[in-house]
Amino acid sequence: MLEIENLAAGYGEALVLRDFSCRIAPGKVTALMGRNGMGKTTLMKTIMGLIRVKSGRIMFDGTAIEKLPTHHISRIGMGYVPQGREIFADFTVAENLRLSLLGHEGGNVLPIEQIYDWFPILKERAEQRAGTFSGGQQQILAIARALIGGPKMLLLDEPTEGIQPSIVHDIGAQLSRIARETGLSILIVEQNVDMVRTLADEVLFMENGAIQERCDIETLRQDDSLLHRYLSV
Amino acid sequence: MSELIPIILDVSSYILILVLVALGLMIVFGMMGVINMAHGELFMIGAYVMVAAQNLGLPFLAGIILAPIIVGFLGLLIEAALIRHIYLRPLDTILATWGLSIALKQLVVLTFGPESHSVALPVDGSLELGAFSYPLYRLILMAASILLIGGTFWLFTRTDFGLLARAVIARPNTAASLGIDTRRMYRWSFVIGTALAGLAGALVAPIISVDPQMGLGYLVPGFLSILVGGAGPLAGVLVGGAVVGGVNNLLAVWISPVAALITVYIIAILIIRLKPEGIMGGRRAK
Repeated sequence: MLEIENLAAGYGEALVLRDFSCRIAPGKVTALMGRNGMGKTTLMKTIMGLIRVKSGRIMFDGTAIEKLPTHHISRIGMGYVPQGREIFADFTVAENLRLSLLGHEGGNVLPIEQIYDWFPILKERAEQRAGTFSGGQQQILAIARALIGGPKMLLLDEPTEGIQPSIVHDIGAQLSRIARETGLSILIVEQNVDMVRTLADEVLFMENGAIQERCDIETLRQDDSLLHRYLSV
Repeated sequence: MSELIPIILDVSSYILILVLVALGLMIVFGMMGVINMAHGELFMIGAYVMVAAQNLGLPFLAGIILAPIIVGFLGLLIEAALIRHIYLRPLDTILATWGLSIALKQLVVLTFGPESHSVALPVDGSLELGAFSYPLYRLILMAASILLIGGTFWLFTRTDFGLLARAVIARPNTAASLGIDTRRMYRWSFVIGTALAGLAGALVAPIISVDPQMGLGYLVPGFLSILVGGAGPLAGVLVGGAVVGGVNNLLAVWISPVAALITVYIIAILIIRLKPEGIMGGRRAK
């Protein structure tokens, strides 16, 4: 699905990712864990084309995307929910969703009813200004906005950051259900261990701009020494 | 009272033209961070399209239709050749577009000569109401300006294009990751901004003297309007244009043009000092 080979990227002269390689399997939820500053968000932004690739290759579903502009990467099926959600606070919920529909016009968009079926609160509050939503509701909106473009793969950057625990679990369960129903591949950057246990099939541990270890979720459930080593929890 | 009405109408028509010019400037600045010093020259070229149309014997309306098309097309060329390379680098845009403004001015001097031209009024009559009399074309000009300002507001607040444009202004990266081609939005917004300037120049041509230096007289108050009103919401331009244009014109009539300009700058400095974001607020924090 997603194959990254010898990727180097960063900000200006400072490289955050050096010789980074990894493969993300299709139809699975892969969690990327690691302490702050290890390059997880940089990786997400680089995949989306928001940070220029210095060298290396990113193959997504058979297409080399490392030189494509961001909107093009989005249109060929890469959905992105950025850290901090970045919803358009002054726009209504419906307008936030419409933007993504317009961005993917002519593509493989999902009917809005499908989105409302998954997240009924968005239908109830379609005309409400998105800025009045709670953090959790904004996160749901950001996820729905990415899903409406009919992505093959969804990048989620710290979706539980600053959200109350009860909603974290709901979001995890709903994403898990959507991934199972639609075969959507998900790459999620997450610090919240409960979220990872609810959602992920496989876990990658990242340190100093490279993948140090990978394991499946069963291994992690039985033995949390990896969590201690890479997250110090 | 009957002496006051023409003054109020004069001031209003100046404000409306100023707002039209400033709207184009603000679309380009608010959206792309491009400070377009050549905006005044695009306005001037709009007026020269009217001069050329008149010389060719074309009807007035043909000039009004041609001006935004020609100037908009010029905007497209400028975007592709120059602006595209310097988006979101305000200082570079000042230099590059300032150079462009000099080049455009010289091009007009070479084509039409340095002297001023006049464009005949398409309608001669005046509106007479008792003792009150006012040139009909100035009323038409005001109505056309109001329609254009309203149309621009409608485009940016009520249509899909406007929704996309406002999204690109607020969060360009997020908009791009939703599949929105931000470069394309920048390009067409720039073209709309320049076409507006061209149309404003064409509309105002019959009531001013058309010369190669005329752009500056609208560029500077146009920028002041944005600074005073705030570059965030579109309504800022209305307020800024009203303050700058109103004070400038009223004092020019009552005291002197020099006193008017001094007062406008003092007011602008005070407002910018007390409310750096402008009266209506600036670009929202990201």
